[in-house]
Amino acid sequence: MTDNAAIHTEALTKHYGDVKALVDLDLDIRPGEVFGFLGPNGAGKTTMIRTILDEIRPTSGSASILGMDTHLQSVEIREHIGYVPGDLAMYPNLTGRDTLTYFANLRGGVDWSFVDTLAERLGADLTKKVGDLSSGNRQKVGLIQAFMNRPKVLVMDEPSSGLDPLVQREFQTMMREVAADGRTVFLSSHTLSEVQRVADRVGIIRQGHLIAVEGVSELRSKAIRTVNLFFDEPVDGAVFGGLPGVREVSVENHHVTLSFDGQMETLLKVVTEQYSLLDITTQEADLEEIFLTYYEEVRA
Amino acid sequence: MLATVVTKTFLDRWKGVAIGAVSLAVLFFFGMAVYRDIDLSVYTDLPEVLRAVMNIPGDADVGALAYGAIYSTYGALTLASLALSMGSASIAGEERRGTIGLLLGNPKSRTHVLVSKAVNILLLSAVGIGILWLAGIVVPEMLSVDVTGIELGALMVHMFVIAVFHGFLAMAVGAWTGKNSLASGVAAAVMVISLFAVGLLPLIESLESGVKAFPWYYYVGSNPHINGIDWGHLSVLIVGIGLLAAMSVVGVNRRDLRGQTTRVSLVDRLRANPMTQKVVDRLAGSARVSRIWIKTASENQGILIVVSYVMFLMMGLLIGPMYTFIDETLVRLTDAFPEELIAMFGGGDMSTPEGFYQLETFGLMTPIAFMVVTVSIGARALAGEEANRTMGLLLANPIKRSTVVLEKTLAMVVQAAIVAAALFAGVVGGSMIGGLGMSPGRIAAATALGMLLGLVFGALALTLSAATGRTRVAIFGTVGVALALYVANGFLPFAEGLEGLAEFTPFHYYLSSNPLMNGMDWGHAAVLATAFAVLVAIAVTLFDRRDLRQSA
Repeated sequence: MTDNAAIHTEALTKHYGDVKALVDLDLDIRPGEVFGFLGPNGAGKTTMIRTILDEIRPTSGSASILGMDTHLQSVEIREHIGYVPGDLAMYPNLTGRDTLTYFANLRGGVDWSFVDTLAERLGADLTKKVGDLSSGNRQKVGLIQAFMNRPKVLVMDEPSSGLDPLVQREFQTMMREVAADGRTVFLSSHTLSEVQRVADRVGIIRQGHLIAVEGVSELRSKAIRTVNLFFDEPVDGAVFGGLPGVREVSVENHHVTLSFDGQMETLLKVVTEQYSLLDITTQEADLEEIFLTYYEEVRA
Repeated sequence: MLATVVTKTFLDRWKGVAIGAVSLAVLFFFGMAVYRDIDLSVYTDLPEVLRAVMNIPGDADVGALAYGAIYSTYGALTLASLALSMGSASIAGEERRGTIGLLLGNPKSRTHVLVSKAVNILLLSAVGIGILWLAGIVVPEMLSVDVTGIELGALMVHMFVIAVFHGFLAMAVGAWTGKNSLASGVAAAVMVISLFAVGLLPLIESLESGVKAFPWYYYVGSNPHINGIDWGHLSVLIVGIGLLAAMSVVGVNRRDLRGQTTRVSLVDRLRANPMTQKVVDRLAGSARVSRIWIKTASENQGILIVVSYVMFLMMGLLIGPMYTFIDETLVRLTDAFPEELIAMFGGGDMSTPEGFYQLETFGLMTPIAFMVVTVSIGARALAGEEANRTMGLLLANPIKRSTVVLEKTLAMVVQAAIVAAALFAGVVGGSMIGGLGMSPGRIAAATALGMLLGLVFGALALTLSAATGRTRVAIFGTVGVALALYVANGFLPFAEGLEGLAEFTPFHYYLSSNPLMNGMDWGHAAVLATAFAVLVAIAVTLFDRRDLRQSA
């Protein structure tokens, strides 16, 4: 697997003093996929990214990108990488174009017509000083900087922050194009809707531990459903809590919402025995609920 | 809220104040130790005018000299500088960082914020004074020097008031304009100009009373360390402080707050102008970002221009003709100065042009000039990019960490070479204008040794920057070490049994061979160059091993 993995980590661990920011992380990311790396703030997403980019060194374990060791061959690796750091900062006194020229020079050149295409697609103004740009417009310069060399692996830490919805959509299209081209996108995010739309697979990290890696479509087919039940009188939530397959219950007078992956028949039997059911709707759960479900399991 | 802002600012700043005050205490210790051992008649025999400028009473004793010459001047300069940096940062600094909006998002008025910042200037100045006061009592005890008749408390009270005055002056300018650098610039200019005015104006009979227009006069004019507190003088300053505080309150409340913006420079205007756009774009845009070292050097060009200008014109060109104006008597007079004191300023025999240049230009100013440039690049080279969070982005490119360190070092060397060229041209020019006939080869030797010395300390700053990723540690650490080594190099040769230790300071390899008279000492140059190379190598190794810092 190591040889043809875009990114591969083995028991990757990083401690800051007593704080275990990353614990035994094993991950394989395939070429040509968009991989969503999900987790709440402080889960270890940025630590993972900074470790594989050799900004910081693992306490134990190892990582490779395109088959090369992230520490020993870091310079070679970076020939093939595009990177958008979280909380992006650039040189405030340089214009967008100066900034891109600087990085292009460090890489030995860039296709400027491609840069202009990217700038046009994202609506970026490259003539203004970076320090005078709003955070969203600054982010666009950062994105162009990462995409402009057509890298084999794009590593992006919360790259959509500050972008308006239209630009976000264009950015998602750009990520899909990279994947279609056989290249890889590693996207760290806490915005589920974005990952749901763009990623092929999702890794979920919490408190330094990788909880799960699953395809987005498999996650959905986990058959977790949201069930809405409407009654003719106020009901007691406790009745539902104990039923098999019920994960979450919220009760509002006559209306009960369940997160449910059990048998519908059992549910209906119990419910209709005790109350008079007026209406029922069910829908496929979105990633958010699946995500929360995973957290519940870990907490439990 | 008031307490919160006060506490935060206090915690941000107390280290700087403590370091400044403790360094002064150390300087005071060395000064008093030297004064104790030398024959003081050289001072008391000086003409009265000169003694007045130097703040030395006719019946000078060790205590009066140490307190008058070291504590009152350097102490007040240091504490006033710290206070004015706090004052300018108080409102204008938060505006520049873009944090003022956040601060004022809390349900407190601008006046509240201003008052809490003002309280801090008072508090931290008091901390500094406290340390100096303590040292003023302890040091004479340690050295068994009799200090009866010295009004230490009065001096400290005066010093506190003058420091606060400058802090509030900077705060007032910052509150009115929102411009941080303008605020500190104005206050610093007032401080330096009035310091010189108080020293020089009394020498000119018709302008004598002019000193009363300068704040510094009300600090030192009454000689508080001998005559006690002068309430009349103090009240002038206190009224001034009150007025400045009132002005600050009005100023900060009446205007629009500034957002976080970049400065618009002349280059930016030229780039926007269609006529000049193409050429300037090439120079300021694509050329500036063509290499890491060029970009680094271009970021530091403001300091470079000022330093090069000062060294070329004021320390180079003008010193030559000045030498020809010096009175014979002044030369004889300085002959009478104790060797230790001359050594403090780098030594030099005033009866020759070389000696005069050594005393005026090369002794103290040249190392400072080179160090201002090299240390500011060295300290910010790595730590600065980490603090600004751009290092991660820079190192996402296919370049080694060692390349980054070496490119930044190259920027430092290039800038030092530019200062060296300016200094060399200035001194050669000055020698020609004054008809002094100094050897260009020997001037080049002294300049080159000065440049190497500056690079050694620049490399030390780079090493600290590489090791810690903290700009402040790199700057304060280097300045502290340099100050200690400079003082040690000045005093050690006069301390019995410790003469040999001076060879362990880089300063020894700068002027001890007397390059202006004897030409280049290649052995000394090699020692400095080796120290530089070793420090850079250490910096490369340390930076390569370390985790990058995520933010400031």
